[in-house]
Amino acid sequence: MEIRPILSALLRNRTGALLVGLQVAITLAVIANAFFIIASRLEKIRRPTGIDTPNLIFAESEGYAPDYEHAATLSSDLALLKGIAGVVAVTSTNSVPLSGGGSANNYHATPDPKAAPIAGNYFEVNADFIDAYGLTLVAGRAFRAEEFTPVPANNDLPPVLILTETMAKTAFGAEPALGKRLYDENGKSGEVIGIVSDMQGSWLGNTRPGPQDLVFHPNGGFGKTWRYVIRVRPGERDRLLPQIEKALNGSGHGRAIIWVRPHEYWLTRTFRADRRMVVFLSTLVILMTAVTALGIIGLATFQVNARRKQIGTRRALGARRADIVRYFQLENGLLGAGGVVIGALLAYAASGWLTNAFQMPPLPPLYVLASALALLALGQLAVLWPARRAGAIDPAVATRTV
Amino acid sequence: MLGYYLRLAWLSLKRTPAITLLMIGAIALGIGATTTTLTVYHRMSTNPIAQRNDVLRAVTLDNWSADRPWDTDHPDNAPAELTYRDALAIAQGAPASRLVVMRKTSLTAEPGAGRPPFLVVVRLATHDFFPMFDVPFAYGAGWDGKADRDGEPVAVLSKETNGKLFGGENSVGKIVRLDGREYRVIGVLADWQPTPKFYDLNNGEYDTPEDLFLPFALGATLELQPAGNVNCWKPETLAGLRDLFGSECIWHQLWAELRTPAEVERFQSYIDGYVAEQKKLGRFPRRINNRLYTVDEWLARHEVVGRDSRVLLVVSFAFLAVCVLNVVGLLLSRFLGAAGATAIRRALGASRGEIFRQHLVEVGLVGALAGIGGLALGAVGLTALQQLYSSYDRLTQLDLSMTLAAIALAVLAGLLAGLYPAWRICRVQPAGYLKTQ
Repeated sequence: MEIRPILSALLRNRTGALLVGLQVAITLAVIANAFFIIASRLEKIRRPTGIDTPNLIFAESEGYAPDYEHAATLSSDLALLKGIAGVVAVTSTNSVPLSGGGSANNYHATPDPKAAPIAGNYFEVNADFIDAYGLTLVAGRAFRAEEFTPVPANNDLPPVLILTETMAKTAFGAEPALGKRLYDENGKSGEVIGIVSDMQGSWLGNTRPGPQDLVFHPNGGFGKTWRYVIRVRPGERDRLLPQIEKALNGSGHGRAIIWVRPHEYWLTRTFRADRRMVVFLSTLVILMTAVTALGIIGLATFQVNARRKQIGTRRALGARRADIVRYFQLENGLLGAGGVVIGALLAYAASGWLTNAFQMPPLPPLYVLASALALLALGQLAVLWPARRAGAIDPAVATRTV
Repeated sequence: MLGYYLRLAWLSLKRTPAITLLMIGAIALGIGATTTTLTVYHRMSTNPIAQRNDVLRAVTLDNWSADRPWDTDHPDNAPAELTYRDALAIAQGAPASRLVVMRKTSLTAEPGAGRPPFLVVVRLATHDFFPMFDVPFAYGAGWDGKADRDGEPVAVLSKETNGKLFGGENSVGKIVRLDGREYRVIGVLADWQPTPKFYDLNNGEYDTPEDLFLPFALGATLELQPAGNVNCWKPETLAGLRDLFGSECIWHQLWAELRTPAEVERFQSYIDGYVAEQKKLGRFPRRINNRLYTVDEWLARHEVVGRDSRVLLVVSFAFLAVCVLNVVGLLLSRFLGAAGATAIRRALGASRGEIFRQHLVEVGLVGALAGIGGLALGAVGLTALQQLYSSYDRLTQLDLSMTLAAIALAVLAGLLAGLYPAWRICRVQPAGYLKTQ
């Protein structure tokens, strides 16, 4: 079929064609970028935590009484928690993974403090942390019980350290990290005695330190706060949580149990903004596509009604129904193609704005291509119904009033 | 005449109910989406203390490492917080109408009577905190300069804490036990929810204000642990909390009330002079870069309007644009489809202006109905969002200004959608249509 008559017909109703073309263009620009944002957020939400999240409970204890004993409370709490049937392992910890709060330090691979610092997210834990978090030891050994210092004298690095696999690579590259030393900015150092499997640290989306650049220190901290990681047998978490809360609350020590929560509490909080973005953007994408599809149907219906006589004449002159249907499909295809080309330009303009204003990565062409194809297919689908109706026009009736 | 036009519009809309509903629905959806995102954006960017914006200044000193700026993305920004010694020195010496130095800590409150102890987030502040930030009191008042100097054990409770500890009654004069020490309640706040929490944006910008307020001096005498961010750049050995007070770590917020440009200038030259003095002592390795920010500037510097809200705002306006384009198309085909009737009206003596007005009335009717629908959808959208925002529920309340904005937007969208089709139809030549009848 020839395209020229279709083009000239389209040009006769320039406004209608322009309106639908613009709708397609704006829709493409928005949905290509929206799909890209949605995909990256979903990837972030679904990224494995590296720890046994479904079976982890965290608790915070804060001393307040004048006679509060910090170190003694820790050993008593650990014994109490380990004694609860269903608890697999327990460690103290300074921060909760993926909670958005934690501690970071600048390490050096050499004693020279002028060397480029290597940022690390440090976790202060005791000897049982590998089991308590549900990590695996990849190389070297775990901390020994006697290597744990409940209340360190100062902020110097402890003599022994354990790194995640990612941190080992960040600090020492391809060289084996085991047995090497990491230095702090005061020139103190600790030996790397073990490497554990990766886990997500305190902050997601950080670059210095990266989200999996973790260093484990075998010590507690200053102050009167202890936090615990309690790993329980699968399926026992919800039953054990109130029991653990009650046991800790009932044990005295002149401290308050501030909270006892499953790890998922923080995941929900941390990813709330991302979920919101996914839900909101998906809703807008669906609505926008639906409105555009309705716009296409509306224009096509108008064109069909306006051209009843012409269609009747063509049918009378020998055009088959399929020819009429194909005419409208082609017309829509042309319109869509025009819209998609402008839309692709708009999509990259929008992506440029996002990159400039928010340092977002540039839009991969695949998203534009896929969205464009989807919109073209949607256009064909939307035009089908009015086109069929055009095909069904009875030549005898349509030409009678001429 | 308007009544007649309205009747014509109503008849015309009733003739094609499907298209009418589609038009109203499309604009309503667009309005609903924009109202939702605009409300969140508006709430996020609102200056909660606009009435004092011009006199309040957040104070920053560039006390950071010589090797790298505080914020590598914005190297001109000094850190948002100060060391203990600098905050204290400036608070004691700087010329300002009012000045507040403050930080966060947390303590355990013991309600007694067998009830379990609970954590209270505490703001340690000097006495000007309350008048500077227009903090409303339900009972009592804040403390005075003497209480600051002597570190008196007095406390101001938030409304919520007063509810938890004293059942909401006037508790002024009563005793509250915190970490084993007794404090006398001297004030209870009325409801106070500045959103965003402008006076401390470093520690949760949409957090609620602290549960309890204590004189700043108590933080040092009782060595209360910091509960907010502590950022350090200098290699220093810190053995316990005591060392933090003398360190180069930053963990204090400082605000000044400066009522005239002259006062601002005097304050600026004071802090510049202070840093110049400190440089002689080998501190402050970076060039002098001390800045004062109004609340508006402070909110802008901290980019409190999240990126997501801005993206959503743009997307929702793009959606509204698509909806409007859609309705332009629908109206155009409707009006031109009924061009025969219009031609008869023209032939019977209706002027172009009258035809134009008649169609605009029809468009206006669609716009008004869509505005109502859009507001309803916006309310639904905000309710749905509330679950997604959870603790930020104050961000998702539809207020009067947003309701008005939604209505204005609907009328504007309706007019935008209707002007061109109405203009096109009034230019129709009646002869061409009448001939075929």
